[in-house]
Amino acid sequence: MTSSTVTAEARPNRFLVARRSGVGPYLFILALTVVMYFVLGPKQFVNALTIGAIYALVALGYTMVYGIIELINFAHGDVFMVGSFVSLFVLTNILGATGPAPDLATIVYQLVVTFALTMSVVGVLGVTIERFAYRPLRNAPRLAPLITAIGISFILQNVVQLIYGPSPINTPQVIPPSARVDIAGVSIGWINIFIIVTAISLMFGLQLFVSRTKVGRAMRSTASDREAASLMGVDINRTIAITFLIGSALAGAAGVVQGLYFGNITSALGFQSGLKAFTAAVLGGIGNITGAAIGGFMIGFVEVTAANFGFFVWAQAAVFMILIVTLVFRPSGLFGQQLGERA
Amino acid sequence: MSAASSPAATSPRGVRSRIGAFSDRHRSTSVFFGVGLAAMALPLIVLLPPFNSFSGQGVWMDGFTIAGIFILLALGLNIVVGMSGLLDLGYAAFFAIGAYTYALAASPFTGIEISFWPMLLIGAVMAAVFGIMLGAPTLRLRGDYLAIVTLGFGEIVPITILNLSRYTEGPNGIGGITAPSIGDFRFPTTGNPWPYYLVMLGLIIVSMMLIYRLQDSRLGRSWMAVREDELAAAANGINTVTTKLLAFALGASTAGLAGVFLAAKLQTVTPNLFRFDVSFTVLAMVVLGGMGNIWGVAVGAFIIFMIQSVLLKQLNIFFDNVDVPILSDIDFLQYQFLLYGIALVGMMLLRPEGLFPSQRRKRELHTEEDADFGEHGDPMGASPE
Amino acid sequence: MRLHKISALAGVSILAFAACSSSGASTAPSAGGGGESAAPPASKGELTLGVSLPLSGGAAADGQPTLKGAQLEVDRINAAGGIGGYTIKLLPLDHAVAGKYNEQQAAQDMQTFVADDAVIGVVGPYNSAVAKVQIPISNSAGLAQCSPANTNTGLTKPEEGALDLRKDFPDRINYIRVAATDSLQGPAMAIYDYDTLGLKNLLIVDDVTTFGKGVADTFQTKFEELGGTVVLRQGAPADTTDFNGIINSQAVEASPPDGVYYGGVVTSGAGLFLKQLRQAGLDIPFTGPDGIVNGSVNDDGSLIKIAGADAAANSYGTIAAIGDFPAKAEFDAAFEEHFSADSDFKTPGAYSGPANACAVVLLEALKAAVDGGAADMAGIREAVRAYASDPANSFDTVLGPISFDENGDTTVPFISFYEVDTAATGGADWVFKEQQSFGE
Repeated sequence: MTSSTVTAEARPNRFLVARRSGVGPYLFILALTVVMYFVLGPKQFVNALTIGAIYALVALGYTMVYGIIELINFAHGDVFMVGSFVSLFVLTNILGATGPAPDLATIVYQLVVTFALTMSVVGVLGVTIERFAYRPLRNAPRLAPLITAIGISFILQNVVQLIYGPSPINTPQVIPPSARVDIAGVSIGWINIFIIVTAISLMFGLQLFVSRTKVGRAMRSTASDREAASLMGVDINRTIAITFLIGSALAGAAGVVQGLYFGNITSALGFQSGLKAFTAAVLGGIGNITGAAIGGFMIGFVEVTAANFGFFVWAQAAVFMILIVTLVFRPSGLFGQQLGERA
Repeated sequence: MSAASSPAATSPRGVRSRIGAFSDRHRSTSVFFGVGLAAMALPLIVLLPPFNSFSGQGVWMDGFTIAGIFILLALGLNIVVGMSGLLDLGYAAFFAIGAYTYALAASPFTGIEISFWPMLLIGAVMAAVFGIMLGAPTLRLRGDYLAIVTLGFGEIVPITILNLSRYTEGPNGIGGITAPSIGDFRFPTTGNPWPYYLVMLGLIIVSMMLIYRLQDSRLGRSWMAVREDELAAAANGINTVTTKLLAFALGASTAGLAGVFLAAKLQTVTPNLFRFDVSFTVLAMVVLGGMGNIWGVAVGAFIIFMIQSVLLKQLNIFFDNVDVPILSDIDFLQYQFLLYGIALVGMMLLRPEGLFPSQRRKRELHTEEDADFGEHGDPMGASPE
Repeated sequence: MRLHKISALAGVSILAFAACSSSGASTAPSAGGGGESAAPPASKGELTLGVSLPLSGGAAADGQPTLKGAQLEVDRINAAGGIGGYTIKLLPLDHAVAGKYNEQQAAQDMQTFVADDAVIGVVGPYNSAVAKVQIPISNSAGLAQCSPANTNTGLTKPEEGALDLRKDFPDRINYIRVAATDSLQGPAMAIYDYDTLGLKNLLIVDDVTTFGKGVADTFQTKFEELGGTVVLRQGAPADTTDFNGIINSQAVEASPPDGVYYGGVVTSGAGLFLKQLRQAGLDIPFTGPDGIVNGSVNDDGSLIKIAGADAAANSYGTIAAIGDFPAKAEFDAAFEEHFSADSDFKTPGAYSGPANACAVVLLEALKAAVDGGAADMAGIREAVRAYASDPANSFDTVLGPISFDENGDTTVPFISFYEVDTAATGGADWVFKEQQSFGE
């Protein structure tokens, strides 16, 4: 990287991050969660967790890519949208599903196949985009890949629209929305439980992968100093490709979940959801995996709180206000920038 | 640093370079005559086939006037994106602020009647004030963070207009906005497109002259320095925050100007007119025209607007009548953003300096691009300076 | 007499169908083939009837059936030899950008119409927000404009701000509409909800648009006046995809609503909202204005298709026009026959009839103008406007006789009530329930 990419103002953050990363933010989140539970009531709380889980899954892709190549991957929201359409294709055209599956075995089978295929296809899509649209610009001025990403975002959205049309499309809800379970007197949909559990498992898996495996170590070292990592024998291109693979695959998983939960998907999904997920990543401290996950849930809470108290028209504005305020007052986010620790 | 190098570095070649050399020396004159000639030629060109078969001269000129609004927007965004290297993705917000400023100052909704002419200035100033209010806290952020902040701002403004019904009439929009007038002559809504056309022409010429002056001024050179290397610029004593803030404010004021004009032209404003697609359309215009090149973005904006409002529509009509299996079913108007997407990506990969590059920008972009990149995973090999 | 006309319509539509085999969106009277034989020998040329509607993307479900309503009449007139020696060309301009109506595009389209001397009138627009930018232009040019579907009260009524729209010529009425206004549509549904469906506690959501918020406001006022309770009123902006936050809100939990009113259109998310309501287990009546009544389960972008036929059951909507007009069966048959070769929207939509009526009004006015001796284009345009907007004239349309008051509003406003029938032949569709006349 040329020196121009690190501004004078941003430098001190590195030290601030080191000081800030303690238990404080986690306690804050814990307290917030408890407060939210009592403010919103159990039903809305579960609702917020569910959509928060989707945002969190998408936010991970933003945060990983930014952490490693400092690119706001604008197309990521649309990669998520493509994921939802790939899962639609897998479910209807390959598995022939039309609605709720008849028994548990079928549900498990269909879900496993859908997740596996969608995540693979979308992961490969992400790698392809990186290879042909971003890699040639890796050393161009920062503006260039950002504009390319916007272009890719348009292309993805419009190509899907060409194929499926602009109206919302129905997706088979393999897990019947009516299947509910009583937990401590509160009726919760199985689909909500499934989404929250899936998302959290994927996040833990990712955290383990990044912190424990050799590839994960390569990712971290590339993020913190690409040049040094390269000198130490890390294959930079491969590491970046893997980052895109994983980030996009997670967006693919979010796409599957989106279809399962709402039963509708549209080609316009990517832009709005992408923005919110990006806000989540910024809120949690971009580059920070745990932060992105928690940021996703927080965005979910903001939206649901606004809706709950009659301010739904302001929900979107509130999300963007949070984005601006976070960037202005705490650019490193609540949890600082872990992956790479570079401001 | 290339900011210091002179534009005469290219080898002179024939008439083109002589015109280029002349226009370098007499910027304002060349803008005046260049834009003026184009503006006089356009109404004549549309009388010729095949253009006259699409629609009459009046409709064409009305379209050119709207195109002019986008040229203004592109010129303003070019200050921010092209000259200063700050990515602003919520530019339509300032457009909206200009439009609503005039709408509130000259409509039955407020009962106030302030003339169009001073409002042009006031609208521009209002937009600049908002630009500074947004820019002051955020401009110290890095470029890509700034992009996101502006994107958020671009979303917040229409939402706020939509929901503050008491002050903005909310989703209804403000109607009955007073058309401009000179003395007793009120600009006609229909029939005679010349008054709006000529005013737009004047706005474009004045804006282009001012922007050229700015570009050649100390401030313009500071913008360029900040764009190319902020650290080095700061080290050379440039106050980077003020420099960026001025770029932001001036860019916003151009959008404000365009907004006032739009409100006067449509006589109605609604929050719907200022959604993010406007910001992205203008960005595509700037990128395609050639970031940093004033003539380039003006021409780029004009061409893109004409493509989307005329060419795509004519393609629709053509294929509706011809009945080619697949093409007839495609609504080309719907896919203008697909074209933008392809153009943006293709442009960045193949010709990042735009269709009509500015010399400096071209040099800057190509030195980096031509360096050995990517393949060995060794980014430091690309260090240009 | 009217029946006679309609049967003639059904008859000639076969001819017309044979003449223009591809009845695509921009069908001009076909120049070659069988059409020639019907044309009169002394042809004076071509006049244009403009149509300004959102015709593509998600808005196609609204625009296309409406366009075809007008097209049916134009094809019929041309097959019968045109009007006074003129053949009529239908010129539809689509102002949907990326699938949703776009005001700026609509304004440009109106400029195109007014600048074209041959355009004698315009059918449209569909959305009230679009009318707000178009009326100043058409008023300034004195071009007659007839909307089949606009319901916002402020478009015509001086006390609601209509004078701001026709600033150039406040006393020259050029915008007329066959649809009833939201000051009727909202309250009518409030009464229907309260009395007929017996709903007392409602959840009201609007899409924060000119139309949606306006109609929801009039609805809410009337509903509360009747003694109903509004459990929660929320705005959900046009691109909302997740309504669960509203559906699960504590206010809804605390006092469960027995019905829902959605003020808005399907492209804003009515279908998604309905589907999510049902998924949350709220099988309560879903009611709304004409914005949600848009086509069957087979039409892309329709409420029923997006929500799914099962979820769409127990939904009720109003149409701001007469639903059970005397010649409905004939009209539907003629429509389906005429457009049977089209790939989509073969069946009439709720505003196909009103669009047909608009075309009839403007073309009858044209006939009167030509008969009255208007010869040059400007004279014809002004005569059409004057005749169409004259309260003294009555028009014999497929909807029945129509005339307009001094503001351009129909004097025979009707509100019709529709319900989703999941067992309708050919798939779930909106079926007419009853109608209410508000004429004096």
